[in-house]
Amino acid sequence: MSNTLQGPSTNSLPVTPSNAGVAEGAMPRGRWWKSLDIYSMWPIIVMAAIIIATSFKSARYLTVQNFENILSQAAPLGIVTMGQTVLLVSGGLDLSVGYNISFASIVTGLMLEHNDPLWLAILCGIAAPTVVGFVNGLLAAQGRAHPFIITLGMSLFLFGLDTQLTGGSPVNDMKGLYTTFGGNLPSGFPCFGLPTVALPFLVVLVLTFVFLRWTPLGRRAYALGGNEQAAHLSGIAVKRTKIYLYSIMGLLVGLTGMVLAGQINEASFNLGLNFDLESIACAVIGGTALFGGRGGAFRSVQGLALYALVQNSILFAGFSSNYQQMALGAIIVIAVMVSRSAT
Amino acid sequence: MTRSDGLSSSSELASAMTGTPEGYQSDELLRADRLNKRFPGVQALQAVSISLHRGTVHALVGQNGAGKSTLVKCISGVYVPESGHIYLEGREVRLLSPRTAFSLGITTVHQRPQLLPSLSVAENIMLGQLPVRKGRVFIDRRQINEDSRALLARLAVSIDPEEPVSRLGAAERQQVAIAKAIYRNAKLLILDEPTVCLDAGRIEQLFRLIEELRRYGMAILYVSHHLEEIFRIADQVTVLRDGRLVATASTAELTPGHVITLMAGDRGAVQSRNGKRSSSSSTQPAIELHNVSTKALHGIDLMVRTGEVVGVTGLIGAGGHSLAQVLFGLEQPQSGEVLLGGRPFRPRGPKQAIARGVFVVPEDTARSTLVPLLSLAANVTLADLAAVSHRGFLSLARERELARHFVSELAIASPSVTSPVRTLSGGNQQKVSLAKALNAKANVLILEEPTQGVDVRAKSEIHNIIRDLAGQDKAVIVISTDIRDLLEFVDRLVALRNGKIVADFSAGETSYTQVLDVTIGAQGVTVR
Repeated sequence: MSNTLQGPSTNSLPVTPSNAGVAEGAMPRGRWWKSLDIYSMWPIIVMAAIIIATSFKSARYLTVQNFENILSQAAPLGIVTMGQTVLLVSGGLDLSVGYNISFASIVTGLMLEHNDPLWLAILCGIAAPTVVGFVNGLLAAQGRAHPFIITLGMSLFLFGLDTQLTGGSPVNDMKGLYTTFGGNLPSGFPCFGLPTVALPFLVVLVLTFVFLRWTPLGRRAYALGGNEQAAHLSGIAVKRTKIYLYSIMGLLVGLTGMVLAGQINEASFNLGLNFDLESIACAVIGGTALFGGRGGAFRSVQGLALYALVQNSILFAGFSSNYQQMALGAIIVIAVMVSRSAT
Repeated sequence: MTRSDGLSSSSELASAMTGTPEGYQSDELLRADRLNKRFPGVQALQAVSISLHRGTVHALVGQNGAGKSTLVKCISGVYVPESGHIYLEGREVRLLSPRTAFSLGITTVHQRPQLLPSLSVAENIMLGQLPVRKGRVFIDRRQINEDSRALLARLAVSIDPEEPVSRLGAAERQQVAIAKAIYRNAKLLILDEPTVCLDAGRIEQLFRLIEELRRYGMAILYVSHHLEEIFRIADQVTVLRDGRLVATASTAELTPGHVITLMAGDRGAVQSRNGKRSSSSSTQPAIELHNVSTKALHGIDLMVRTGEVVGVTGLIGAGGHSLAQVLFGLEQPQSGEVLLGGRPFRPRGPKQAIARGVFVVPEDTARSTLVPLLSLAANVTLADLAAVSHRGFLSLARERELARHFVSELAIASPSVTSPVRTLSGGNQQKVSLAKALNAKANVLILEEPTQGVDVRAKSEIHNIIRDLAGQDKAVIVISTDIRDLLEFVDRLVALRNGKIVADFSAGETSYTQVLDVTIGAQGVTVR
């Protein structure tokens, strides 16, 4: 951190140095743990408890293999959750991601069936959902309808389009995409044999964190979600910002579509089923605000981890998968209520 | 505990109103005795006592943080004091919730009353005790409207009870809230900064209403920063400072200067910049309006030089706000021309205006220009993120550096530059907005109501900051309905009336009464 920078000389008012120390001394000395925000850390604490409790129930639970499974199951949802986080922070949301993921896979799947080259199929499979995101952004930027309605409409539209394109039957051979995302990374440093799908997810996680914290566009997203009028009166191009953010979401949806289609070697209209609501749920569980201005990649990924861990642990604890849904439903409600009381 | 069922006698008008207006009744309605209230790190109230009488307007003054709102909240049941007693009509009461206080006849009317906008005035007044028809299913709408009309007429308020509240302005909403309080048998009415959103004409209307209530024997606690209002309508005044009671006296025994001294304590009296004007040596026009007309403005000609502070005043709706909208590109003029530094200036929005160095800090800063969840530093740099960006990435260290620079220059009181801006007080939020404008390298600043709702001390600090800006060859236009405030620091004062400039005074050569006269005028304002 550089302290050599000076304030803008063009604006210097007659300085009264007596007040110069006001901003300093904010960090409490010693007792660093007091500055920890216990509320925003609660998913980690709950996860630790779940892991300890479940490890008594099954010997196969606390294994590298199992946690690799969790990671590979959570990775595609994680990519969308990052996009959803960006939109939620900006006061928007995208309910069309589920069928947009399917759309991405179908575009690529049909092209591969057609024996188009893999690179072209992937390019189109990412470009198509990005265009969808762009259109979502274009419509949301008009401010005439809430993004909820716009993206819900888009979702229905895409469902129709997806079934029309596939005739309802899935494409079952993703060829090169399957060989890419179906397996594991090389073992040993630096990949440790992790599932391949973890790689794009971790990259997106880091990029989202950097994007929201260190880029002007990310900052504008917070401003928009925190007070759209203030953003406008601060000279922020509100419409353009929204179009960018929804397009980024489209891009991430495309990536998810590729990863997911490769992972299970299938392209179908219900490939991304429920990803819309699940991604919103994960972000909100982690502490990203549903109505904008607050949240981030680190918070949302905690929500994702908890979500994935609960799904996995319930099975290992010997309950039927029906209990998964019940537990997840309860967690969503409790998470939001806890985060409300924290503010 | 008394519950709200105690309010059942519905359709008859409140006893406070039907009681014989025998004029001044000196009996005590409410007495708070040695109240103490602590918050983490601050003793908000320390042995504060106050006695409120029927038929009396009692003003409560003090700088921000003096404990006014804590005292009001203790009396209205929002906070429970740690020690001390509250007596209502001679009996001790425990006000454990706003509901309890309300049912005992203690009602607070806020700056922006909480009403239901889609319901009618009458329904809002009677809500909770709506008269029903025989079957107890349907509301007796005719009855509601008649009762409300009668009540409003008694209060000399001319509002149609069938009008939905959403169509009313701030002043009328306040009147509806007061009517509602009276309908619910209020004995003590607490008015918290009631004139903040009102222009001079509406303030008169409110004062007439308060007079009316006083004649009927209502006790009124009037919280305000405006001393001239207090000396106009209050009988008693209580001054708080740093959570302690400084004085309670009859307004007849005090002068405004005296009250300011009591409020400020050893911090010293507020400095007036009168007579210390920097006569700007520069004669260069910074911004010129030639014959500009909009819906609200008619043929405005105005020129502001660099290094000049020009105040624009007038009643709400006189055109001041529209002027700011035009200069920020939020409204396109129907005719006329704006020149900025001699070149045509027609911004299509705030972005273009800011790029040309014109920045409007709108009124109600906290809600309209700041992002409450973002840090002070992030708010300061929001209008010019390029200044803290390097190769497409934000430099947070540089951002904090810039923010600290402004924190020290504008004396912004904040625990740190990374604190969310919502944790700051109104005056400090105002300063953050100014810092944002300065950071965006604004040369022409248009400030709407910059001292609205801030305490006396922050006010004079903001005055000084604005003078300093002019000293650095910035042109400043201050649009405000507070004439006295403007007279303290502007070079010129332009008076608007019905969208036209009716006078252009040099600040040294005019007076409050003169400006008031041209804005409200001899022929008087027609009150809606």
